[in-house]
Amino acid sequence: MSTPVDAEQAWKDLQRIRVPQERVYDEFERTASGGRGTAYGTAALMWVFLTGVGMDPPWWGVGLFMTVYVGLLGALCVRNGRRTRMQLHRSRCTGRMWAAFGAVAVLVGGTIVLADHLTESLAPVCAGPVQATAAVAVYLLSLGPANRWAADSVRSGGEPAVDEATGR
Amino acid sequence: MSTPAGFDELIHPATRLSVVALLAATEWADFAFVRDSLSLSDSALSKQLHTLEEAGYLELHKEGGGRTRRTRVRLTDRGRTAFEGHVAALRAIVEGAGRPADDTPSERRHHSGAGR
Repeated sequence: MSTPVDAEQAWKDLQRIRVPQERVYDEFERTASGGRGTAYGTAALMWVFLTGVGMDPPWWGVGLFMTVYVGLLGALCVRNGRRTRMQLHRSRCTGRMWAAFGAVAVLVGGTIVLADHLTESLAPVCAGPVQATAAVAVYLLSLGPANRWAADSVRSGGEPAVDEATGR
Repeated sequence: MSTPAGFDELIHPATRLSVVALLAATEWADFAFVRDSLSLSDSALSKQLHTLEEAGYLELHKEGGGRTRRTRVRLTDRGRTAFEGHVAALRAIVEGAGRPADDTPSERRHHSGAGR
């Protein structure tokens, strides 16, 4: 048996679909922009790691710092993952999300290289904290705008596809 | 009135359509998130989820125990395909009546992203 559906009802159903999906995008935006604890946590880890590596430790010291840093970063991600209430479907991920991630990485990396050049004359004990502080400051300043820019694209990213789908 | 191919009777009821539409935008979602987003009671949502689970449209994963127990809901490939077909059928009905199907941005974005 099939349910007869007129155009008006079908149109209302199509509108109804938008409401729960907007809730998903709201949650995604909230998660992307609201995680101050995570931002400060990753920044603190980054500062300790960069300070340690900036002090020119022996190779095993760099390895030790790297292992501890990656381990703690992983633990932070797992803890965050447990708190997350939903995960956006991969088809909703936009290129802008990857671009924002890459832009923050380039900015932080560039700051580390620049700070390294500018602090060449300083002793490693002083240069390490200076480089780390500069890199973490850039990270924290760029993270918020980058997250918001990426999150905006998830909601607004559907618009061009409307035209593609309908040929209008 | 003939019903276009892809029209899914199981998804058609309003509550189920909302549940599936929400899940279609996610890899998975917590039971509590779905319940709060759709303003449903635990029992009403459970009933709909079990109906959809029996049809193979979604999977329920229970994790943890005690106070940390949580249930994750995930749309299966079958459920996703059924939802896409149902939306296409609704659009065909609207466009068949000479009225342009108003944009449902997130859903159409989903279609365009499916091939990625």
